Parts: sequence; structure tokens; C-alpha cells
Amino acid sequence: MSLSRLRLLLWVVVGLAALGMIAFLWTQSAREQTASQTSMGTIGGPFTLTASDGRPFPSSRLNGKPAAIFFGFTHCPDVCPTTLARLAKLRRQLGQGDDALSIVFISVDPERDTPAEVANYMSLYDTPIVGLTGTPAQVEQVKKQFGIYSRKVEQPGGGYSVDHTAAVLLMDRNGQFVATISPEEGDQVALDKLKRITA
Amino acid sequence: MFRSLIASALLLLAACEPQGEPDIRLGNAWARPTAGQAPGAVYVSIANDGPAEDRLTGAFTDHAAMAMVHQNELVNGVARMRMAGEIRIPAGDQIDMVPGGTHIMLEGLRAPLKAGDEFELVLKFKEAGDQKVTVNVVKADAL
Repeated sequence: MSLSRLRLLLWVVVGLAALGMIAFLWTQSAREQTASQTSMGTIGGPFTLTASDGRPFPSSRLNGKPAAIFFGFTHCPDVCPTTLARLAKLRRQLGQGDDALSIVFISVDPERDTPAEVANYMSLYDTPIVGLTGTPAQVEQVKKQFGIYSRKVEQPGGGYSVDHTAAVLLMDRNGQFVATISPEEGDQVALDKLKRITA
Repeated sequence: MFRSLIASALLLLAACEPQGEPDIRLGNAWARPTAGQAPGAVYVSIANDGPAEDRLTGAFTDHAAMAMVHQNELVNGVARMRMAGEIRIPAGDQIDMVPGGTHIMLEGLRAPLKAGDEFELVLKFKEAGDQKVTVNVVKADAL
């Protein structure tokens, strides 16, 4: 093969690699954006998951009461307990009793989070929390409905963690999406939002 | 004349030398209870009372198969947990770990952590070496 042909071949390889890179970045950014692209009107809707007692849990059981829904996983030692403890504290501060607002935990790690694991996890709190899991397909469907992003990440030394949307979704009595509570906003802002949906 | 020259040279040397060693003090170490096989997270305050900086390089405890310094970050609304590199503890400074940020993750706990439990945790520092602290397990709802 002549040198000029080799050079041409190398350029073709470089070009293909660049195209591949662009395509890869394109699909990556498209995937990362799905959570923010879900429009407000379409967040939520009916679903069926599995309650921590192992029985089917239709979303209609949440009807008639506002709900704060958080997607997490039981092997999450920091963000998830922090968020759930915060919601429990905010509900106490609301001063309308545990019945005024459902706190709902939905697992994004259905492979590890059996109903029994979820029940164990919920028992760590002195307050009623609805803990839900399901088949991977069910969870995937509910994540889509609520615009939730999650992804498994291998950990050095074995096991995995799950990256996931950190915001809590607030739904009104009719299951309509109203607002989110993010970990970055102060308790007063969060409390005002909860007051609005429980008014 | 000669004496004052030596004196000032010594002063200059003293100023250039790394001044003493870091003096690490650990306190307020706590963790929430855990359930089943789930890992735990320890939060601890690290004060450096010495005149030189130090670095937190790792952790271990008899109570878990693995202890890792972890860092949580929020990127585009997504919570991500990663191994933290070495954490700098500047001279005369204090670092208070709080939920949602840096913590020591305990993987493979010997037994789930129960409220009221106490156990020893060792933090490894580059200069100060191994430093022991007692971790208190407190109810998740108490915060």
C-alpha cells in the first residue's frame, strides 16, 4: 500500500471515529434530558405497583389525599433517608396529622428492593410512609410517567449505587402534579408548598 | 553584628519551615439506623487544631466489611454518589459532614445499625495517621 493511500485510510478512520463520538454524545444528551422534557400536564397518571406487604397497590389508593412522592432505593444510605426524614419532619410541622399528606417512597431498584426489603426500610421511620416497589417493567413505566431519571452505577469494590432524580413530586388530592421539592430549597419554601396542597 | 545576622537567619528559617504538625480532633460522629443488607452512612466532624494541613485518605471499622469516604452531588437534579478523593483538612479549620454531602459509607455491615448502638470508626489521615472515634446511632426521625 502506498503512503498516500495509507494516509487517506487513516483520515477515513479518524472521520468515522469523530462521527461515532458525535452520535454517542447526541444520544447521551438526549437521554439525560428526558427527565426535564416531560411536560407538567403529563406527570403522573394511574399505575399499579407492589406494596411492602407484597400485595398489588393501585394508585387509586392514593386518591383523596395529597401526596409527596419520592423515588429512591433502600441501599441508599444518605440522600434517601435524609429526604424521607425531611418529609416526615415537614409533615409534623404542618401540624395537621399524618392523615393530611401521604408520603410515598417508590423504589428505582426493583431487583434488590423486594417488598420485604422496602417494609424493613420503612420501619426505620416512626411515621407512616407508603413504600412501593414492583417488577422492573412496572417501575420503568412509573418512572416514565413521573419523568424520573435513574441509572445503575457500578461501585469500586463491588455492588452498585443508583443515580436518581432527587426531587420530591407533590400531587394534589386528585393525583394532579402541582410542584416539586428539591433538596436545595429551604424548609420554609417546601413547607409553603405543602400547605398549598393540603389546604 | 554577627550574632544578629544568625538570629535573623534563624527567624527566616523558622518562617520557611513547615510549622509543626496537624492536630486532628474528631467529634460528633453519628449514623442513622439501617435495615436489612442496606449500607449505612456516618457523619463526623473533623477539626484540625494544628498549624499544618492534613488529608483524610480513608476509613475502616470492625463493624463493616468496607468503609469508604463518599461524596454526594446533585447534577441537573440527579443525586449521584461517588467515592471522594482525599479530603483536605486545612490548618486551623473544621469540617462538619452533614447529610446530603460527604459521608463515610459502611458497606457490608456486620449487623444492621440500631438506635442507641455505639461502635468505633477509624479515620486515616496522611499526617496524623489513624484516628479513632465512637459513632452513635440515632433514630432517623430525630433530625
